[in-house]
Amino acid sequence: MQHPTAVARFEDLFLPLLDSLYGTACHMTRDRVDAEDLVAEATLLAFRSFHTFQPGTNFKAWIFRILTNCFRTSWRRRRKEPGLSSLEEAAEQYLYFRSGEAGVRPSLLDPDQWALGRMETAQVAAALQDLPEEYRMVATLYFMEDFRYQDIAGILDIPVGTVRSRLHRARRMLQKRLWQIAVDHGLLPRQEREEEEE
Amino acid sequence: MSPLDRYTCDEALRRLDDYLDRELRPEEMRRVQNHIETCAVCAQEYAFEAKVIAEIRGKLHRIDVPASLRTRLAVLLETERMSIGSDGEWTSMS
Repeated sequence: MQHPTAVARFEDLFLPLLDSLYGTACHMTRDRVDAEDLVAEATLLAFRSFHTFQPGTNFKAWIFRILTNCFRTSWRRRRKEPGLSSLEEAAEQYLYFRSGEAGVRPSLLDPDQWALGRMETAQVAAALQDLPEEYRMVATLYFMEDFRYQDIAGILDIPVGTVRSRLHRARRMLQKRLWQIAVDHGLLPRQEREEEEE
Repeated sequence: MSPLDRYTCDEALRRLDDYLDRELRPEEMRRVQNHIETCAVCAQEYAFEAKVIAEIRGKLHRIDVPASLRTRLAVLLETERMSIGSDGEWTSMS
């Protein structure tokens, strides 16, 4: 049970993070209605266990860990997760080498032709959400919240080395998915589209 | 600068992700940096990867919290507050 002053302290710490928690929940669940349910469940659990939070430690990491645990226990089995499929074999620095092979790297770096720059937010979010769960979780915390590897390890309760390897692989997979989306939506420079069609 | 103060291309590129994330030890950070400062090819690759990360982060901006969720949380926490006998109000969320 919380003391009233603890309630106010919870509000002070929690409210500035609500946007972050909801955004992360959207990518975890890949569904905005589910994300609302997940945030509500995590908020209630965090509130009720706030007495276990150690003042002076990282509240953001603490509540993100609760959000992640709620997702793992309640949500992960509700929806079919994407498999590794075609993203599994994505090479290192996929976009860099793929654009180099296609001879469009200089134009890709041009802000007016840069395919990623021309993508909609929803397309980039879709690429992230297409990653298999274990990679999507790490990548979401990294790209959305700029968490350090050590923080991500604490939130997901996995070793730092596992965070590092999953994040490196997630980056390659995400780059490959972004390339596929750029091709599908005609966002690559003209010469690249012609090569892709051959 | 001694060759011992910097990595080869392979050694530097193997550490590129960790270097981008500032997750290397200081000595390793310095060796990668020394390599990038003297290798135009690796410098270009580093700049490319840094730009990709920045673009993805820029696109994945915060998603607005729906009013329905704010209202739901306000009710939920107010209910919890009442159960512990507080006379305060959860006004900042609505």
